[in-house]
Amino acid sequence: MPLDTSAYSLALLRVDGRRWNELRRVHAQIRTQAAADGSSYLEMGHTKVMCVVNGPSEPGPRRGTAGGGGGGGGPGGVAEVAVSVVVAGFSSVDRKRRGRGDKRTLELQTTISNALAASLHTHLYPHSTISISLHVLSQDGSLLAALINAATLACVDAGIPMTDYVVACTAGSTSTYAANDETADPLLDLNHQEEQELPSLTVATLGETDRVAVLVCESRVQASRLEGMLAVGVSGCHQVREILDQVVRDKGRHMIKEGTVEKGMGVEEMEVD
Amino acid sequence: MTTKREPEAALSVLPKSDGSARYSYAGYTVTASVNGPIEAQRRDEHAYEAHVDVIVRPAAGVGGTRERHLETILQASLIQLILVKNFPRSLIQIVLQVEASPENDYVNTKLMQASLNSAVIPALLQTAVLALLSAAIPMRATATSAIVAVMTQDGASRLVAHPSPREIEAAQSVHVLAFTSQDGLLLAESEGDFTVKEWDDVYDTAKKICCKSGATKGEGIEMVLDEQEDSGPDMRQFLRSALETKVAADLHWK
Amino acid sequence: MPREAEPSLNERQFVLKALEENLRLDGRTFDKYRALALTFGDEYGVADVTLGRTRVLAKTSAEVTVPYADRPLDGIFTITTELSPMASPAFEINRPTETEILLSRLLEKTVRRSGAMDTESLCLVAGQKCWSVRVDVHVLSHDGNLTDAACFAVVAALRHFRKPDTSMEGGVLTVYTPAEREPVPLSWLHSPFCITWCFFGDEGQMALLDATWSEEQVRVGSCTISLNRHGEICQIAKLGGTPVEAVALLQCTNVALTKAKEFSTYLDKKLAEDAKRRDKDGLMAELSAENDR
Repeated sequence: MPLDTSAYSLALLRVDGRRWNELRRVHAQIRTQAAADGSSYLEMGHTKVMCVVNGPSEPGPRRGTAGGGGGGGGPGGVAEVAVSVVVAGFSSVDRKRRGRGDKRTLELQTTISNALAASLHTHLYPHSTISISLHVLSQDGSLLAALINAATLACVDAGIPMTDYVVACTAGSTSTYAANDETADPLLDLNHQEEQELPSLTVATLGETDRVAVLVCESRVQASRLEGMLAVGVSGCHQVREILDQVVRDKGRHMIKEGTVEKGMGVEEMEVD
Repeated sequence: MTTKREPEAALSVLPKSDGSARYSYAGYTVTASVNGPIEAQRRDEHAYEAHVDVIVRPAAGVGGTRERHLETILQASLIQLILVKNFPRSLIQIVLQVEASPENDYVNTKLMQASLNSAVIPALLQTAVLALLSAAIPMRATATSAIVAVMTQDGASRLVAHPSPREIEAAQSVHVLAFTSQDGLLLAESEGDFTVKEWDDVYDTAKKICCKSGATKGEGIEMVLDEQEDSGPDMRQFLRSALETKVAADLHWK
Repeated sequence: MPREAEPSLNERQFVLKALEENLRLDGRTFDKYRALALTFGDEYGVADVTLGRTRVLAKTSAEVTVPYADRPLDGIFTITTELSPMASPAFEINRPTETEILLSRLLEKTVRRSGAMDTESLCLVAGQKCWSVRVDVHVLSHDGNLTDAACFAVVAALRHFRKPDTSMEGGVLTVYTPAEREPVPLSWLHSPFCITWCFFGDEGQMALLDATWSEEQVRVGSCTISLNRHGEICQIAKLGGTPVEAVALLQCTNVALTKAKEFSTYLDKKLAEDAKRRDKDGLMAELSAENDR
């Protein structure tokens, strides 16, 4: 079904009633699984993902992994970040089954692993593995962004030292690649319907900096539009960082209130601001 | 199609592998790389000799039973040539990439060709030997190979060396033979029905092609030239000259 | 299989220190490609691309099959990339490595999803017969920047390819052999090219084009941008790695666009040369003379 973009130019409202620079509702929780070292649950609109982190721990008796990190951990004496993404069959409308060897899923895994490995202080844990397993419960666009955000939260929960949050979101443009109109607006945080019809890209930045860790664009778009889309995406990432940071702080406060953790030096500081 | 042209070969064409060769003759172009002796995987490791791994890759499509069959044939032959006992617990890996096979303008080829199995063997074997030489893998002997088809016309059978795809299709039987440089029969694969007499003729023809330089060494160049007309190029002489060219180029600085 | 040897600390430092002084081991500037050479085979649809010591062979083939049930009006177009141990003993048959998966995804996104070929033109009889075009990418030698070389080879092979001519008469489909009718080219819409930037330094501040294998081993991140000469981005893939300033990425895209245009011009030139070479037989002249009348 083609997306009806005719209404956009009149009211400047998108199919789900958002303006061009609005994020969808982001709901996130951390420490959802008691048994895991770190865990999170994240919703970006109707995209719902769950993440469990185990480690850093001694790697299991696996041989010949895809990353070539045999002999324990990644190469060069750093921890290996092993990511597995499971897309539930019920997560999307078409209920397509995706096997383990699906190239798209493997690409997602590599991307998430490489993005987090650059932020996590993996050099502190040589010869060990940080295993991140992600489960996609529901898909409605911005899948990669949601997965990266969830993985970051879970790593924070697991207490793995990192430079900054790796936060992601998507950006698009209201015109298709064919139309050469100058009035095209950039859009923030696309849902599934928009992703199908419009050019889009996924950006992940390192915290509130303008440094881009992941940039994935899978559709045809005029090179001149890239700048606008990227700018919107980066500012979206900054918004997402605020939200995720708030989630972490709220959880911390909550845990102190309940007495599950003792107030430490760092924690006290946190409560002040 | 110029299927009857002279064979061409180039050694060490790939910079990253231990040895490599590119060989083209009769419409076939094959590139081979040899790596070895390298560390063998646990399951391939042999306590007393090197494991010879032959991988044949078709130009189009993924390898199937046809390629596995070719691999088995080639592996069995090459083990006889390589001094495998010199490298226990190691691996010698030979990858053969078919780049082009002769086209038949009168048929639209399907991706998977069930027949046409044997015609490619001489090219593969020849390339493998050249690549092994280029990788300086110790060998007992080199090998040369030829394909001969038996055509039946008006009740009389006729032998055709290095037949074209159309001739192979029309042939009553097709034979691939390979000989070592000590004139020993290394490989004989036959397809179709034939009599023992026919096979003997085929054997003689193939031997003439493969082992000519040995047989006519003392008889002067005139003789060799005459024979070339009817049974194709002298394979052993070709192998030698290809290597001599390479060595001359390598030792140019001396 | 034996693992690829990792560069020693000395090698690593040597490459990086040299880069800090704006030097590359082979003396190129940061935004210069190695010598690119393209040769076409005797057959249609075979392209052999060498980029320095990297060498990729792409071969196109077509056959008539049944279209997918969910896409009755589309032909089938596949790109297969299987890295054989010929490129490096670390690659194993039937066990795809990460490199292989990312390469095949990139080519898929660049060439197939960007709609470079009109797949609807491959349809012969709706829901019953269609062309299945496949490109096999064979990596013969891997010395870095496989993506760009492979993408160039695929595009070149597809544009050079001619599929057998067909006709429909009274519901009967005839596929002509090359001897009967001159084969026809594919319906091609635009030619995308991959341009890969590699990033070096703690903050990824140094960006290099066309990295060699030794440079690729010490890089901290990479970004592959696919563009055509009309300035359309077909795909961008910066899959993790050290974060890079957004502005730098935009600059990379601009440089990539000029490179894509260079590639495009080079390919057009080579195709024209090859067409001329084939024309010598006079066969094409004969055919065109027929059309004139």
